[in-house]
Amino acid sequence: MLARAPEMELIREAQAGSRAAFDTLVRQYEQQVLRLALHLTGSEHDAEDIYQEAFMKAYRYLGNFRFECSFYTWIYRIVTNLCLDQLRRRKTRREDRSVILDHSGGEIDVLASVSDDRSFSNPARELDRKLLGERIQTALEKLTPRERMVFELKHYQGLRLRVIGEMLSTTEETAKNTLFRATKKLRTQLAGLR
Amino acid sequence: MKCKIAQERIVTAAYGELADEQAQELERHLAGCAECDKEREQLLALKVLAGAYPVVEPDANLAVRSRLRLAEALDALPPRRWYDRLGQRVRNNVASLQAAPVAACLLLAVGVGAGVLGGNELAMNRARHAAAVQAMQAQSQPAPAAVSTAPAEIANVSSIVRQPNSHRVEVRYNQLVPQRIEGSLDDPAIRQLLMLASENSASAGVRDDSVGLMAAECKAGHGCQKAAGIRDALMVALRYDKNEGVREKALHGLEPYVAEDVRVRDAVLEALMNDGDPRIRTAAINILEPVEADTSVRQVLYSVSNSDSNPHIRNVSRQVLNSVPEIQ
Repeated sequence: MLARAPEMELIREAQAGSRAAFDTLVRQYEQQVLRLALHLTGSEHDAEDIYQEAFMKAYRYLGNFRFECSFYTWIYRIVTNLCLDQLRRRKTRREDRSVILDHSGGEIDVLASVSDDRSFSNPARELDRKLLGERIQTALEKLTPRERMVFELKHYQGLRLRVIGEMLSTTEETAKNTLFRATKKLRTQLAGLR
Repeated sequence: MKCKIAQERIVTAAYGELADEQAQELERHLAGCAECDKEREQLLALKVLAGAYPVVEPDANLAVRSRLRLAEALDALPPRRWYDRLGQRVRNNVASLQAAPVAACLLLAVGVGAGVLGGNELAMNRARHAAAVQAMQAQSQPAPAAVSTAPAEIANVSSIVRQPNSHRVEVRYNQLVPQRIEGSLDDPAIRQLLMLASENSASAGVRDDSVGLMAAECKAGHGCQKAAGIRDALMVALRYDKNEGVREKALHGLEPYVAEDVRVRDAVLEALMNDGDPRIRTAAINILEPVEADTSVRQVLYSVSNSDSNPHIRNVSRQVLNSVPEIQ
Protein backbone atom coordinates (compact mmCIF):
# COMPACT_ATOMS: atom_id res chain seq x y z
CA MET A 1 0.00 0.00 0.00
CA LEU A 2 1.18 3.52 -0.67
CA ALA A 3 2.57 5.60 2.14
CA ARG A 4 -0.12 7.84 3.58
CA ALA A 5 1.26 11.22 2.49
CA PRO A 6 1.93 10.45 -1.21
CA GLU A 7 -1.45 8.75 -1.44
CA MET A 8 -3.13 11.87 -0.05
CA GLU A 9 -1.33 13.94 -2.66
CA LEU A 10 -2.48 11.58 -5.39
CA ILE A 11 -6.08 11.74 -4.21
CA ARG A 12 -6.00 15.52 -4.06
CA GLU A 13 -4.54 15.68 -7.55
CA ALA A 14 -7.16 13.26 -8.83
CA GLN A 15 -9.86 15.33 -7.13
CA ALA A 16 -8.48 18.38 -8.90
CA GLY A 17 -8.99 16.55 -12.20
CA SER A 18 -5.66 14.78 -12.83
CA ARG A 19 -6.37 11.64 -14.80
CA ALA A 20 -2.75 10.45 -14.35
CA ALA A 21 -3.15 10.59 -10.58
CA PHE A 22 -6.41 8.65 -10.79
CA ASP A 23 -4.76 6.01 -13.01
CA THR A 24 -2.00 5.59 -10.43
CA LEU A 25 -4.62 5.03 -7.75
CA VAL A 26 -6.35 2.47 -9.95
CA ARG A 27 -3.10 0.57 -10.47
CA GLN A 28 -2.48 0.65 -6.76
CA TYR A 29 -5.75 -1.07 -5.88
CA GLU A 30 -6.75 -3.03 -8.98
CA GLN A 31 -5.18 -6.35 -7.95
CA GLN A 32 -6.98 -6.32 -4.62
CA VAL A 33 -10.26 -5.37 -6.26
CA LEU A 34 -9.97 -8.13 -8.85
CA ARG A 35 -8.85 -10.73 -6.32
CA LEU A 36 -11.85 -10.05 -4.09
CA ALA A 37 -14.37 -9.88 -6.91
CA LEU A 38 -13.00 -13.02 -8.58
CA HIS A 39 -13.07 -15.09 -5.42
CA LEU A 40 -16.55 -13.90 -4.48
CA THR A 41 -18.22 -14.21 -7.83
CA GLY A 42 -16.16 -17.04 -9.31
CA SER A 43 -16.39 -15.43 -12.71
CA GLU A 44 -13.75 -13.42 -14.57
CA HIS A 45 -16.52 -11.75 -16.50
CA ASP A 46 -18.31 -10.58 -13.33
CA ALA A 47 -15.01 -9.57 -11.75
CA GLU A 48 -14.22 -7.43 -14.78
CA ASP A 49 -17.65 -5.78 -14.60
CA ILE A 50 -17.25 -5.08 -10.91
CA TYR A 51 -13.79 -3.60 -11.54
CA GLN A 52 -15.22 -1.35 -14.22
CA GLU A 53 -18.20 -0.21 -12.22
CA ALA A 54 -16.20 0.28 -9.01
CA PHE A 55 -13.55 2.51 -10.55
CA MET A 56 -16.08 4.45 -12.61
CA LYS A 57 -17.98 5.18 -9.39
CA ALA A 58 -14.75 6.08 -7.65
CA TYR A 59 -13.90 8.49 -10.47
CA ARG A 60 -17.36 10.04 -10.40
CA TYR A 61 -17.55 10.45 -6.63
CA LEU A 62 -13.90 11.03 -5.79
CA GLY A 63 -14.75 14.65 -5.07
CA ASN A 64 -16.91 13.45 -2.17
CA PHE A 65 -13.99 11.64 -0.52
CA ARG A 66 -13.05 13.75 2.50
CA PHE A 67 -10.27 11.65 4.09
CA GLU A 68 -12.54 10.60 6.94
CA CYS A 69 -11.52 6.99 6.35
CA SER A 70 -8.64 5.47 4.43
CA PHE A 71 -8.95 5.44 0.66
CA TYR A 72 -8.52 1.67 0.84
CA THR A 73 -11.65 1.42 3.02
CA TRP A 74 -13.54 3.78 0.73
CA ILE A 75 -12.75 1.89 -2.47
CA TYR A 76 -13.37 -1.47 -0.78
CA ARG A 77 -16.76 -0.18 0.39
CA ILE A 78 -17.71 0.51 -3.21
CA VAL A 79 -16.47 -2.91 -4.31
CA THR A 80 -18.15 -4.84 -1.50
CA ASN A 81 -21.47 -3.14 -2.25
CA LEU A 82 -21.19 -4.09 -5.90
CA CYS A 83 -20.23 -7.66 -4.97
CA LEU A 84 -23.15 -7.87 -2.55
CA ASP A 85 -25.52 -6.83 -5.33
CA GLN A 86 -23.97 -9.48 -7.54
CA LEU A 87 -24.30 -12.18 -4.85
CA ARG A 88 -27.94 -11.22 -4.27
CA ARG A 89 -28.64 -11.59 -7.97
CA ARG A 90 -26.82 -14.92 -7.88
CA LYS A 91 -29.09 -16.21 -5.15
CA THR A 92 -31.90 -16.26 -7.65
CA ARG A 93 -29.97 -18.10 -10.35
CA ARG A 94 -27.62 -20.56 -8.75
CA GLU A 95 -24.92 -21.88 -11.01
CA ASP A 96 -22.39 -24.65 -10.86
CA ARG A 97 -19.45 -23.02 -9.14
CA SER A 98 -16.90 -25.79 -9.40
CA VAL A 99 -15.20 -23.75 -12.09
CA ILE A 100 -14.83 -20.07 -12.80
CA LEU A 101 -15.67 -18.61 -16.16
CA ASP A 102 -13.19 -16.58 -18.15
CA HIS A 103 -14.19 -13.55 -20.20
CA SER A 104 -15.14 -15.64 -23.20
CA GLY A 105 -17.26 -17.99 -21.11
CA GLY A 106 -14.61 -20.74 -21.04
CA GLU A 107 -14.11 -22.70 -17.83
CA ILE A 108 -11.07 -22.30 -15.61
CA ASP A 109 -10.48 -24.68 -12.73
CA VAL A 110 -9.40 -22.42 -9.89
CA LEU A 111 -7.96 -25.23 -7.82
CA ALA A 112 -6.05 -26.82 -10.66
CA SER A 113 -4.57 -23.49 -11.64
CA VAL A 114 -3.04 -23.14 -8.20
CA SER A 115 -1.23 -26.43 -8.17
CA ASP A 116 0.05 -26.74 -11.71
CA ASP A 117 3.58 -25.95 -10.65
CA ARG A 118 3.58 -28.42 -7.78
CA SER A 119 5.88 -31.30 -8.51
CA PHE A 120 4.36 -33.55 -5.86
CA SER A 121 0.82 -33.34 -7.09
CA ASN A 122 -0.76 -36.51 -8.36
CA PRO A 123 -4.09 -37.12 -10.12
CA ALA A 124 -5.81 -38.82 -7.16
CA ARG A 125 -4.94 -36.04 -4.78
CA GLU A 126 -5.86 -33.41 -7.36
CA LEU A 127 -9.27 -35.01 -7.66
CA ASP A 128 -9.78 -35.11 -3.88
CA ARG A 129 -8.74 -31.50 -3.60
CA LYS A 130 -10.99 -30.43 -6.45
CA LEU A 131 -13.96 -32.20 -4.89
CA LEU A 132 -13.19 -30.63 -1.54
CA GLY A 133 -12.91 -27.20 -3.14
CA GLU A 134 -16.30 -27.69 -4.79
CA ARG A 135 -17.85 -28.64 -1.46
CA ILE A 136 -16.43 -25.49 0.11
CA GLN A 137 -17.75 -23.35 -2.73
CA THR A 138 -21.20 -24.91 -2.43
CA ALA A 139 -21.21 -24.36 1.32
CA LEU A 140 -20.13 -20.73 0.87
CA GLU A 141 -22.95 -20.15 -1.57
CA LYS A 142 -25.49 -21.27 0.98
CA LEU A 143 -24.57 -18.35 3.24
CA THR A 144 -26.53 -15.13 2.95
CA PRO A 145 -24.71 -12.54 0.80
CA ARG A 146 -23.79 -10.58 3.91
CA GLU A 147 -22.47 -13.63 5.77
CA ARG A 148 -20.54 -14.63 2.69
CA MET A 149 -19.05 -11.15 2.44
CA VAL A 150 -17.99 -10.99 6.10
CA PHE A 151 -16.46 -14.48 5.93
CA GLU A 152 -14.66 -13.58 2.71
CA LEU A 153 -13.27 -10.33 4.09
CA LYS A 154 -12.19 -11.95 7.35
CA HIS A 155 -11.06 -15.42 6.38
CA TYR A 156 -9.74 -14.95 2.87
CA GLN A 157 -8.79 -11.28 2.80
CA GLY A 158 -7.64 -11.13 6.44
CA LEU A 159 -9.25 -7.79 7.29
CA ARG A 160 -9.96 -6.67 10.86
CA LEU A 161 -13.59 -6.86 12.00
CA ARG A 162 -13.56 -3.13 12.72
CA VAL A 163 -12.58 -2.40 9.12
CA ILE A 164 -15.14 -4.89 7.82
CA GLY A 165 -17.80 -3.10 9.88
CA GLU A 166 -16.72 0.22 8.36
CA MET A 167 -16.82 -1.18 4.85
CA LEU A 168 -20.26 -2.65 5.28
CA SER A 169 -21.53 0.48 7.08
CA THR A 170 -22.22 -1.42 10.26
CA THR A 171 -20.60 -1.96 13.64
CA GLU A 172 -17.70 -4.21 14.58
CA GLU A 173 -20.08 -6.11 16.88
CA THR A 174 -22.50 -6.82 14.04
CA ALA A 175 -19.65 -7.95 11.82
CA LYS A 176 -18.50 -10.27 14.62
CA ASN A 177 -21.98 -11.76 15.02
CA THR A 178 -22.27 -12.23 11.28
CA LEU A 179 -18.91 -14.00 11.20
CA PHE A 180 -20.05 -16.25 14.04
CA ARG A 181 -23.23 -17.18 12.16
CA ALA A 182 -21.28 -17.79 8.97
CA THR A 183 -18.76 -20.13 10.62
CA LYS A 184 -21.56 -22.01 12.37
CA LYS A 185 -23.43 -22.56 9.11
CA LEU A 186 -20.27 -23.58 7.29
CA ARG A 187 -19.40 -26.09 10.00
CA THR A 188 -22.84 -27.63 9.70
CA GLN A 189 -22.52 -27.76 5.93
CA LEU A 190 -19.08 -29.32 6.02
CA ALA A 191 -19.58 -31.58 9.04
CA GLY A 192 -19.04 -34.79 7.09
CA LEU A 193 -15.71 -33.71 5.65
CA ARG A 194 -13.56 -33.73 8.75
CA MET B 1 -18.06 -17.95 31.47
CA LYS B 2 -21.15 -19.27 29.73
CA CYS B 3 -20.65 -21.67 26.83
CA LYS B 4 -22.55 -19.36 24.45
CA ILE B 5 -20.11 -16.52 25.09
CA ALA B 6 -17.17 -18.93 24.97
CA GLN B 7 -18.27 -20.20 21.57
CA GLU B 8 -18.51 -16.67 20.19
CA ARG B 9 -15.09 -15.91 21.57
CA ILE B 10 -13.63 -19.06 20.05
CA VAL B 11 -14.37 -17.55 16.64
CA THR B 12 -12.86 -14.17 17.43
CA ALA B 13 -9.85 -15.87 19.03
CA ALA B 14 -9.35 -18.10 15.99
CA TYR B 15 -9.15 -14.99 13.86
CA GLY B 16 -6.80 -13.21 16.26
CA GLU B 17 -9.29 -10.60 17.41
CA LEU B 18 -9.78 -11.51 21.06
CA ALA B 19 -8.24 -9.30 23.74
CA ASP B 20 -5.52 -10.97 25.84
CA GLU B 21 -7.55 -10.97 29.04
CA GLN B 22 -10.57 -12.52 27.36
CA ALA B 23 -8.34 -15.03 25.63
CA GLN B 24 -6.93 -16.21 28.92
CA GLU B 25 -10.42 -16.41 30.39
CA LEU B 26 -11.46 -18.46 27.36
CA GLU B 27 -8.48 -20.81 27.74
CA ARG B 28 -9.45 -21.47 31.34
CA HIS B 29 -13.01 -22.21 30.26
CA LEU B 30 -11.84 -24.53 27.48
CA ALA B 31 -9.57 -26.41 29.84
CA GLY B 32 -12.64 -27.43 31.81
CA CYS B 33 -15.31 -27.68 29.11
CA ALA B 34 -14.98 -30.54 26.65
CA GLU B 35 -17.92 -29.35 24.54
CA CYS B 36 -16.46 -25.91 23.90
CA ASP B 37 -13.01 -27.41 23.34
CA LYS B 38 -14.58 -29.57 20.65
CA GLU B 39 -16.12 -26.42 19.15
CA ARG B 40 -12.66 -24.94 18.86
CA GLU B 41 -11.33 -28.07 17.19
CA GLN B 42 -14.19 -27.96 14.70
CA LEU B 43 -13.55 -24.32 13.93
CA LEU B 44 -9.87 -25.00 13.37
CA ALA B 45 -10.85 -27.82 11.03
CA LEU B 46 -13.15 -25.41 9.15
CA LYS B 47 -10.32 -22.92 8.79
CA VAL B 48 -8.16 -25.64 7.31
CA LEU B 49 -10.90 -26.91 5.02
CA ALA B 50 -11.69 -23.44 3.72
CA GLY B 51 -8.12 -23.34 2.42
CA ALA B 52 -9.17 -25.84 -0.23
CA TYR B 53 -10.95 -22.99 -2.03
CA PRO B 54 -7.97 -20.65 -2.25
CA VAL B 55 -7.84 -17.04 -3.31
CA VAL B 56 -6.06 -17.00 -6.65
CA GLU B 57 -4.05 -14.12 -8.03
CA PRO B 58 -5.97 -12.59 -10.93
CA ASP B 59 -4.58 -13.43 -14.32
CA ALA B 60 -2.37 -10.64 -15.71
CA ASN B 61 -4.49 -10.58 -18.86
CA LEU B 62 -7.60 -9.95 -16.81
CA ALA B 63 -5.98 -6.93 -15.15
CA VAL B 64 -4.77 -5.51 -18.47
CA ARG B 65 -8.14 -6.10 -20.12
CA SER B 66 -9.99 -4.45 -17.23
CA ARG B 67 -7.63 -1.49 -17.23
CA LEU B 68 -8.04 -0.91 -20.96
CA ARG B 69 -11.82 -1.13 -20.72
CA LEU B 70 -11.81 1.36 -17.86
CA ALA B 71 -9.52 3.74 -19.75
CA GLU B 72 -11.87 3.65 -22.74
CA ALA B 73 -14.88 4.40 -20.56
CA LEU B 74 -13.07 7.27 -18.82
CA ASP B 75 -11.94 8.70 -22.15
CA ALA B 76 -15.53 8.66 -23.33
CA LEU B 77 -16.69 10.79 -20.41
CA PRO B 78 -17.16 14.46 -21.25
CA PRO B 79 -14.30 16.52 -19.78
CA ARG B 80 -15.10 18.14 -16.51
CA ARG B 81 -15.78 21.83 -16.90
CA TRP B 82 -14.21 24.39 -14.63
CA TYR B 83 -17.62 25.12 -13.07
CA ASP B 84 -18.08 21.40 -12.24
CA ARG B 85 -14.85 21.43 -10.30
CA LEU B 86 -15.72 24.75 -8.70
CA GLY B 87 -19.13 23.37 -7.72
CA GLN B 88 -17.50 20.30 -6.21
CA ARG B 89 -15.07 22.44 -4.25
CA VAL B 90 -17.90 24.60 -2.97
CA ARG B 91 -19.90 21.52 -1.93
CA ASN B 92 -16.88 20.13 -0.07
CA ASN B 93 -16.27 23.44 1.65
CA VAL B 94 -19.94 23.69 2.61
CA ALA B 95 -19.75 20.18 4.03
CA SER B 96 -16.73 21.08 6.12
CA LEU B 97 -18.37 24.34 7.19
CA GLN B 98 -21.38 22.40 8.43
CA ALA B 99 -19.19 21.14 11.22
CA ALA B 100 -18.12 24.67 12.20
CA PRO B 101 -21.15 25.55 14.38
CA VAL B 102 -20.72 22.28 16.23
CA ALA B 103 -17.06 23.04 16.83
CA ALA B 104 -17.94 26.57 17.98
CA CYS B 105 -20.56 25.23 20.42
CA LEU B 106 -18.08 22.71 21.74
CA LEU B 107 -15.47 25.42 22.29
CA LEU B 108 -18.06 27.56 24.07
CA ALA B 109 -19.10 24.64 26.25
CA VAL B 110 -15.46 23.87 27.11
CA GLY B 111 -14.85 27.54 27.97
CA VAL B 112 -17.92 27.77 30.18
CA GLY B 113 -17.08 24.44 31.82
CA ALA B 114 -13.51 25.51 32.53
CA GLY B 115 -14.74 28.79 34.02
CA VAL B 116 -17.28 27.10 36.29
CA LEU B 117 -14.83 24.44 37.43
CA GLY B 118 -12.04 26.97 37.97
CA GLY B 119 -14.29 29.23 40.05
CA ASN B 120 -15.59 26.32 42.02
CA GLU B 121 -12.07 25.05 42.72
CA LEU B 122 -10.98 28.53 43.88
CA ALA B 123 -13.96 28.82 46.24
CA MET B 124 -13.33 25.35 47.63
CA ASN B 125 -9.66 26.12 48.23
CA ARG B 126 -10.61 29.20 50.17
CA ALA B 127 -13.14 27.25 52.21
CA ARG B 128 -10.60 24.51 52.90
CA HIS B 129 -8.03 27.05 54.01
CA ALA B 130 -10.51 28.69 56.39
CA ALA B 131 -11.56 25.31 57.79
CA ALA B 132 -7.94 24.29 58.34
CA VAL B 133 -7.20 27.49 60.25
CA GLN B 134 -10.33 26.95 62.33
CA ALA B 135 -9.43 23.33 62.99
CA MET B 136 -5.92 24.23 64.12
CA GLN B 137 -7.31 26.75 66.50
CA ALA B 138 -9.95 24.42 67.93
CA GLN B 139 -7.84 21.27 67.97
CA SER B 140 -8.07 19.51 71.31
CA GLN B 141 -6.75 16.11 70.32
CA PRO B 142 -3.34 15.12 68.93
CA ALA B 143 -3.01 14.98 65.18
CA PRO B 144 -3.72 11.55 63.71
CA ALA B 145 -0.69 9.49 62.82
CA ALA B 146 0.34 9.89 59.19
CA VAL B 147 -0.01 6.88 56.99
CA SER B 148 3.41 5.39 57.26
CA THR B 149 3.08 3.48 54.04
CA ALA B 150 4.32 4.85 50.76
CA PRO B 151 1.35 5.48 48.42
CA ALA B 152 2.68 2.94 45.93
CA GLU B 153 2.13 0.19 48.45
CA ILE B 154 -1.54 1.01 48.99
CA ALA B 155 -3.61 -1.32 46.84
CA ASN B 156 -6.94 0.43 47.38
CA VAL B 157 -9.12 2.30 49.84
CA SER B 158 -12.05 0.16 50.96
CA SER B 159 -14.11 2.60 53.07
CA ILE B 160 -14.21 6.17 54.36
CA VAL B 161 -16.34 7.08 57.41
CA ARG B 162 -16.50 10.58 58.85
CA GLN B 163 -17.35 10.71 62.51
CA PRO B 164 -20.44 12.89 63.17
CA ASN B 165 -19.79 16.51 64.12
CA SER B 166 -16.05 16.03 63.94
CA HIS B 167 -13.09 16.41 61.66
CA ARG B 168 -12.05 12.86 62.30
CA VAL B 169 -12.29 10.40 59.45
CA GLU B 170 -11.72 6.66 59.45
CA VAL B 171 -10.17 5.36 56.23
CA ARG B 172 -9.76 1.62 55.69
CA TYR B 173 -7.20 0.66 53.09
CA ASN B 174 -5.40 -2.41 51.82
CA GLN B 175 -1.70 -2.67 51.27
CA LEU B 176 0.32 -4.58 48.76
CA VAL B 177 3.04 -6.38 50.61
CA PRO B 178 5.85 -7.78 48.45
CA GLN B 179 6.58 -11.42 49.22
CA ARG B 180 9.35 -13.80 48.34
CA ILE B 181 9.36 -17.54 48.08
CA GLU B 182 12.19 -19.92 47.37
CA GLY B 183 11.91 -23.60 46.67
CA SER B 184 12.34 -26.49 44.31
CA LEU B 185 10.85 -26.46 40.83
CA ASP B 186 8.75 -29.41 42.00
CA ASP B 187 7.12 -27.29 44.67
CA PRO B 188 3.44 -26.79 43.69
CA ALA B 189 3.50 -23.22 45.03
CA ILE B 190 6.50 -22.37 42.83
CA ARG B 191 4.84 -23.98 39.82
CA GLN B 192 1.65 -22.06 40.50
CA LEU B 193 3.59 -18.80 40.56
CA LEU B 194 5.42 -19.68 37.35
CA MET B 195 2.09 -20.30 35.61
CA LEU B 196 0.71 -17.05 36.97
CA ALA B 197 3.81 -15.16 35.84
CA SER B 198 3.55 -16.60 32.34
CA GLU B 199 0.06 -15.16 31.92
CA ASN B 200 -0.06 -12.01 33.97
CA SER B 201 3.30 -10.38 34.17
CA ALA B 202 3.57 -7.02 32.47
CA SER B 203 7.27 -7.68 32.02
CA ALA B 204 8.28 -9.73 28.99
CA GLY B 205 11.45 -10.68 30.87
CA VAL B 206 9.49 -12.31 33.70
CA ARG B 207 7.23 -14.13 31.25
CA ASP B 208 10.31 -15.28 29.36
CA ASP B 209 11.89 -16.62 32.55
CA SER B 210 8.76 -18.44 33.68
CA VAL B 211 7.95 -19.92 30.26
CA GLY B 212 11.62 -20.88 29.81
CA LEU B 213 11.65 -22.80 33.09
CA MET B 214 8.34 -24.52 32.42
CA ALA B 215 9.40 -25.40 28.87
CA ALA B 216 12.63 -26.96 30.17
CA GLU B 217 10.62 -29.03 32.66
CA CYS B 218 8.30 -30.23 29.91
CA LYS B 219 11.21 -30.99 27.59
CA ALA B 220 12.70 -33.13 30.32
CA GLY B 221 9.31 -34.84 30.76
CA HIS B 222 9.21 -33.68 34.33
CA GLY B 223 5.84 -32.83 35.91
CA CYS B 224 4.22 -31.85 32.62
CA GLN B 225 1.26 -34.19 32.67
CA LYS B 226 -2.00 -33.08 31.10
CA ALA B 227 -3.62 -32.24 34.41
CA ALA B 228 -0.64 -30.40 35.87
CA GLY B 229 -1.53 -27.15 34.13
CA ILE B 230 1.96 -26.34 32.85
CA ARG B 231 1.17 -27.67 29.40
CA ASP B 232 -1.91 -25.41 29.26
CA ALA B 233 0.16 -22.42 30.37
CA LEU B 234 2.65 -23.11 27.55
CA MET B 235 -0.20 -23.37 25.01
CA VAL B 236 -1.59 -20.02 26.19
CA ALA B 237 1.86 -18.46 25.88
CA LEU B 238 2.32 -19.92 22.39
CA ARG B 239 -1.03 -18.60 21.22
CA TYR B 240 -1.18 -15.20 22.83
CA ASP B 241 2.16 -13.94 24.18
CA LYS B 242 3.21 -10.77 22.40
CA ASN B 243 6.89 -11.58 22.72
CA GLU B 244 8.24 -13.91 20.04
CA GLY B 245 11.04 -15.21 22.31
CA VAL B 246 8.46 -16.34 24.85
CA ARG B 247 6.33 -17.99 22.15
CA GLU B 248 9.37 -19.79 20.76
CA LYS B 249 10.28 -21.20 24.18
CA ALA B 250 6.69 -22.31 24.73
CA LEU B 251 6.70 -24.05 21.36
CA HIS B 252 9.85 -26.02 22.17
CA GLY B 253 8.45 -26.97 25.56
CA LEU B 254 5.40 -28.47 23.88
CA GLU B 255 7.41 -30.51 21.37
CA PRO B 256 7.37 -33.84 23.27
CA TYR B 257 3.57 -33.80 23.49
CA VAL B 258 2.62 -33.02 19.91
CA ALA B 259 2.02 -36.70 19.11
CA GLU B 260 0.04 -37.68 22.18
CA ASP B 261 -2.02 -34.55 22.89
CA VAL B 262 -4.39 -33.27 20.19
CA ARG B 263 -4.74 -29.93 21.94
CA VAL B 264 -0.99 -29.38 21.73
CA ARG B 265 -1.09 -30.35 18.06
CA ASP B 266 -3.85 -27.79 17.44
CA ALA B 267 -1.89 -25.07 19.21
CA VAL B 268 1.21 -25.84 17.11
CA LEU B 269 -0.89 -25.87 13.93
CA GLU B 270 -2.36 -22.49 14.84
CA ALA B 271 1.16 -21.17 15.37
CA LEU B 272 2.15 -22.52 11.95
CA MET B 273 -0.79 -20.78 10.32
CA ASN B 274 -1.01 -17.55 12.26
CA ASP B 275 2.22 -16.68 14.06
CA GLY B 276 3.72 -13.46 12.77
CA ASP B 277 7.31 -14.64 13.24
CA PRO B 278 8.66 -16.85 10.41
CA ARG B 279 11.18 -18.47 12.80
CA ILE B 280 8.32 -19.78 14.92
CA ARG B 281 6.37 -20.97 11.89
CA THR B 282 9.49 -22.81 10.65
CA ALA B 283 10.08 -24.33 14.09
CA ALA B 284 6.43 -25.43 14.17
CA ILE B 285 6.91 -27.37 10.91
CA ASN B 286 9.89 -29.22 12.38
CA ILE B 287 8.03 -30.00 15.57
CA LEU B 288 5.16 -31.55 13.65
CA GLU B 289 7.42 -34.26 12.25
CA PRO B 290 5.97 -37.15 14.32
CA VAL B 291 2.44 -36.37 13.12
CA GLU B 292 3.09 -35.30 9.55
CA ALA B 293 0.81 -38.01 8.19
CA ASP B 294 -2.11 -36.74 10.24
CA THR B 295 -4.89 -35.34 8.01
CA SER B 296 -5.29 -32.03 9.81
CA VAL B 297 -1.51 -31.52 9.79
CA ARG B 298 -1.32 -32.25 6.10
CA GLN B 299 -4.15 -29.82 5.40
CA VAL B 300 -2.37 -27.06 7.27
CA LEU B 301 0.94 -27.85 5.59
CA TYR B 302 -0.85 -27.78 2.27
CA SER B 303 -2.43 -24.43 3.05
CA VAL B 304 0.90 -23.01 4.26
CA SER B 305 2.74 -24.34 1.21
CA ASN B 306 0.34 -22.31 -0.92
CA SER B 307 -0.26 -19.17 1.01
CA ASP B 308 2.55 -18.43 3.50
CA SER B 309 4.13 -15.07 2.79
CA ASN B 310 7.60 -16.53 3.34
CA PRO B 311 8.99 -18.49 0.35
CA HIS B 312 11.30 -20.55 2.57
CA ILE B 313 8.37 -21.73 4.68
CA ARG B 314 6.32 -22.53 1.58
CA ASN B 315 9.24 -24.54 0.28
CA VAL B 316 9.87 -26.42 3.53
CA SER B 317 6.20 -27.37 3.91
CA ARG B 318 6.13 -28.62 0.32
CA GLN B 319 9.21 -30.73 0.98
CA VAL B 320 7.61 -32.20 4.08
CA LEU B 321 4.41 -32.98 2.19
CA ASN B 322 6.50 -34.54 -0.54
CA SER B 323 8.41 -36.75 1.82
CA VAL B 324 5.40 -38.15 3.64
CA PRO B 325 3.70 -41.12 2.02
CA GLU B 326 0.16 -40.56 0.78
CA ILE B 327 -2.47 -41.16 3.44
CA GLN B 328 -4.58 -44.19 2.94
